[in-house]
Amino acid sequence: MLSTELSMPAAIAEKTKIDVKNLNFYYGQSKALKDITLSLRERSVTAFIGPSGCGKSTLLRVFNRIYELYPKQSAEGQVLLDGKNILDRTQDLNLLRTKIGMVFQKPTPFPMSIYENIAFGVRLYEKIGKAEMDVRVEQALKRAALWSEVKDKLNASGLSLSGGQQQRLCIARTVAVKPEVILLDEPASALDPLSTAKIEELIDELQADYTIVIVTHNMQQAARVSKQTAFMYLGELVEFDSTEKIFTSPREKRTQDYITGRFG
Amino acid sequence: MMTLCVVAAGIGLAWLALILGALLYKGLAGLSLSVFTGMTPPPGEAGGLLNAIFGSVVMTVIAVIVGTPIGVLAGTYMAEYGRFSKLTTVVRFINDILLSAPSIVIGLFVYELMVRPMGHFSALAGAVALAILVIPVVVRTTEDMLNLVPNALREAGTAIGAPRWVVIKSVAYRAALSGIVTGILLAIARISGETAPLLFTALNNQFWSSNLNAPMASLPVTIFQFALSPYEEWQQLAWTGALVITLTVLALSIVARSLTGRRENG
Amino acid sequence: MSAAQEALPAVRSSREATVKRFAFTDAVFHALTRAAAILVLVLLGGVAVSLFAGSWQALSTFGFSFLTSESWNPVTEKFGALAPIYGTIVTSAIAIVIAVPIGIGIAIFLTELCPRPLRRPIGMAVELLAGIPSIIYGIWGLFVFAPFLQTTVQPFVIGIFHGVPGLNSLFAGPPYGIGLLTSSLILAIMVLPFITSITKDVFDTVPAVLKESAYGIGCTTWEVTRHVVIPYTRIGIMGGVMLGLGRALGETMAVTFVIGNAHRISVSLFAPATTISATIANEFTEAVGDLYTSSLVALGLILFVITFLILAIARYMLMRIDARTGA
Repeated sequence: MLSTELSMPAAIAEKTKIDVKNLNFYYGQSKALKDITLSLRERSVTAFIGPSGCGKSTLLRVFNRIYELYPKQSAEGQVLLDGKNILDRTQDLNLLRTKIGMVFQKPTPFPMSIYENIAFGVRLYEKIGKAEMDVRVEQALKRAALWSEVKDKLNASGLSLSGGQQQRLCIARTVAVKPEVILLDEPASALDPLSTAKIEELIDELQADYTIVIVTHNMQQAARVSKQTAFMYLGELVEFDSTEKIFTSPREKRTQDYITGRFG
Repeated sequence: MMTLCVVAAGIGLAWLALILGALLYKGLAGLSLSVFTGMTPPPGEAGGLLNAIFGSVVMTVIAVIVGTPIGVLAGTYMAEYGRFSKLTTVVRFINDILLSAPSIVIGLFVYELMVRPMGHFSALAGAVALAILVIPVVVRTTEDMLNLVPNALREAGTAIGAPRWVVIKSVAYRAALSGIVTGILLAIARISGETAPLLFTALNNQFWSSNLNAPMASLPVTIFQFALSPYEEWQQLAWTGALVITLTVLALSIVARSLTGRRENG
Repeated sequence: MSAAQEALPAVRSSREATVKRFAFTDAVFHALTRAAAILVLVLLGGVAVSLFAGSWQALSTFGFSFLTSESWNPVTEKFGALAPIYGTIVTSAIAIVIAVPIGIGIAIFLTELCPRPLRRPIGMAVELLAGIPSIIYGIWGLFVFAPFLQTTVQPFVIGIFHGVPGLNSLFAGPPYGIGLLTSSLILAIMVLPFITSITKDVFDTVPAVLKESAYGIGCTTWEVTRHVVIPYTRIGIMGGVMLGLGRALGETMAVTFVIGNAHRISVSLFAPATTISATIANEFTEAVGDLYTSSLVALGLILFVITFLILAIARYMLMRIDARTGA
């Protein structure tokens, strides 16, 4: 089923999906992101790394404007999704979030059944019958490599699953609404190594269809899953390059210090 | 000094046990089926409390139907849409005052609001007075329970493209459901024993009445009237009625608490 | 997957329509919840306005003397609120003086002394008792407590203080059973669970590490309570006491049964008296004439103002302790 994507010309695969230009972000008076400019490639995994408090999660939360839930947080500059500025006042936030999905650090299954956890998001924007919904739920769960584990207990509460399963349920839920971009905010930091490996495998598969941005404090993880890596420090984008370059021959001394474990 | 604390605890608990003991002793003596099947009798005759119990149930149900949605909505504003607004701080403060405001004052308010313009006492006025007592309890618990719902869950709902009202309805309410139900049960427990706000709104009625536009009997007001009467049959009915109310309130409170208890443990 | 991807443009355009509908529903729901929240303010405002309007006739007829006159005469239509105000304040004050030490004592017992397995059941019992309707306390007071006081305690106390100047007028007979002191005692029992449960809650906010470090340097339980727990929670306890006071001031039914409903100010605590709420409960439906009714509403207004102030102070204090614990 991935054959069409796999045979695509390299030029299309390198297309820019999200273009960040001169982005500043404020928590009240304090500036959390300073003049960030970078481009994220379509159908590719980009990792944001850096010590805690460096702004990597903040940057991620700008992409779907989830920060709007809270007062006194504001962004200025431009974030272009397929050339259209999502920071524009006229941008509908719900519509934006159907295009840009997000998975959080801690698994957040909704207090409903496994089936409903997935159908919930789909039903919001699509009026489809029971049979078609069943297919969609199955597809999403398969996509998240969870189907075989839960297919016999779709009516069980999403909260009854293990932490790793819950996180994959959240990924399935996100995939089910057919977004274009998936944001992952330290998706494996609360999980055991085995579950982490599964999630990473999943990320690798998902990049065939989705543009993926992952925030992680785990440098090995960034090296394993991403094509490109951005190193951030104190709200600034220090260096942004191919993952290989960042981890083997970084331009900046600060990047080198961080990846060699001298601070952070 | 610590011995004094033990003594204090002993005195306090014994005192309360004494009251419940007396209530059981006096109330059980008159407890029979006829209490639930007979009407309030004229002095000197046997009878029951059926019309009073019926009136209490009717007014309580209306009060809950009117008060709960308002309370839940207001609590929702405070914990969701208006979580960071000044209005919420003000409403919380005023609501807490309303929560402990003397219920007789609420009775006077409804008298001025409804009974005086309508020209007569009515069950509806009684129900409204009780509804005003329900609202602050429900507001408080709804806000508290919604505040306990982790923000991560709201973010997750929002991140999937759900608008705020869907996140509230399908995620936050669901997560806080048992807590909100507890609040409603506690509110029912509170109003089922309230006498003062009914004295001059619903008044009382010696007879069976289901007319909402006329005075209606209620258990607490009947107890009040009968207890202060010189007739022994009436006094006995008052004790039995008091026992019925107390058991109802205790049962409601225990169910309410076990609901939240289960939540905390689960 | 590829079929689904092809269907995307159609999905997108239907999504545009859906988000418009969502935005509308959201605006409606937002407005609805906001209106409900504002209604809470309107309710309290409505209480104040209607009480003021209802009492206008009495206030304009009697002016300031309504507050200072002891006379309450439906026949001559001369009304003054002094006796009920006096009764309300005295009964509540005595109730608080009795209930606070016992309530704090029980709270200390529950948090520091009580064997662990008993803590929950006793704590729960106290909370349940806080929910028992006041009419229950009233009926018990009238039929059990008052006769007991009348036949045993009151004659005894009157006998003891008979020759003691000052105290003999405070405890002057005849022993009615009902009266100021009986009401105060009933109120004390009523607010006891209330004060206990709030005090217990604020005691629980004391960080364990604070207590442990005090125990660590060899303090006894009493010393820890006296020098760590109580100072740390002082504001919260005060808030709880004020809340209990607010409840006692406004309590109606328990008092109405046992106060005696006498519009006069007596020095003796054994004498029948009245309170604001008992007066309203006893006389409102029987009040003949607008001025009489208006005077009763004016009593309600006074009660409202007093309790509002007390409760506002109480909430302010409790809010301060909440802010400190970040709750």
